[in-house]
Amino acid sequence: MAEYTFRIFRYDPEKDEQGRVQDYTFEVQEGWTILDALNHIKWFIDGTLTYRRACRHGICGSCGMTINGKNNIACETQIKDLGTSTITIEPLRGFPVIKDLVVNMEPFYDKLYAVKPYLITRTPPPTDRERYQSPEDRAKLDGKYECILCGCCTSSCPTYWADKNFLGPNALLKASKFMLDSRDEGFEDRVNCIDDKHGIWRCHTIFNCVEACPKELNPTKGIVELRRLMMRGRL
Amino acid sequence: MTEKRASGGFYAWLLQRITGVVLAVLLIAHFIVTHGLPHPSGVTYARIAPRLATPTWKVIDMLFLACALYHGLNGVWMVLQDYVESEGMQTFLFGVLCVLGAILFFLGAITVIPFAVQA
Repeated sequence: MAEYTFRIFRYDPEKDEQGRVQDYTFEVQEGWTILDALNHIKWFIDGTLTYRRACRHGICGSCGMTINGKNNIACETQIKDLGTSTITIEPLRGFPVIKDLVVNMEPFYDKLYAVKPYLITRTPPPTDRERYQSPEDRAKLDGKYECILCGCCTSSCPTYWADKNFLGPNALLKASKFMLDSRDEGFEDRVNCIDDKHGIWRCHTIFNCVEACPKELNPTKGIVELRRLMMRGRL
Repeated sequence: MTEKRASGGFYAWLLQRITGVVLAVLLIAHFIVTHGLPHPSGVTYARIAPRLATPTWKVIDMLFLACALYHGLNGVWMVLQDYVESEGMQTFLFGVLCVLGAILFFLGAITVIPFAVQA
């Protein structure tokens, strides 16, 4: 048992004009994650603390937040791994705060819908089997399909902070997942949105998204592969 | 069917990469030829001027000038796009950068092209 102080961003739209920081100090148990600490606060100390969580094992993407300045999902962040006894927890940057650690993810989803994140086909499927994909073509999608939509990447992107219309690493990674899928025939459906002033050319390869992704995906690599694809289409 | 559409920055992005590579090559050449690296020798008028007066080096220097101006000003344009929100202001600043580029290119050109060794 060791004592930790959690400095948590609080904002109640009905009471506060702007955000404030509230400290909670208590002893945490061995093996606790940040989500365990937040649950402890909500259940035993201060029931007004608001945050999103669902699966508590890193697959739903609900608990993305900024922990000690770095985006991560709370349920997969071990408290002792942070190496500090004071831990700062803030809502994801770049998104409007609704309450406490809950942000409005609509702008994030809008970008995702814009790139049409589903398989687009024109030719009818074979009648005797599913659409075939070779193991080699399937392997090209590794590191692209595992995204859990937590928002950590787009929220960490300085280009997104500057341009809220920028598609952001998440939407571009999703676009690369479908545009590089051998079964997909929707290149022309997606290209106008991606080859846009606020699209793929806006990325400055800052790599914050790579550092932020809790699933250790590489949106920058997806963006570079997509640029190569677009270049072949143009030249 | 491939429809014709305006690009949202593809050519600017591609040119930034191409000029970047050209600049790297020309800079290395500059340090070797002008400064004599890896064994630096005196950069004197007598040694440098006759080379600068040759047509080949005038072409190289004009290429250098064009690439450096494009690369630098496009970089500034990218930064401005990140910090200036208003579309109108962005258009105005883009115009300013174009004019600035044209003036600097002109000043560079009237220095490089007519250059002759003074007796």
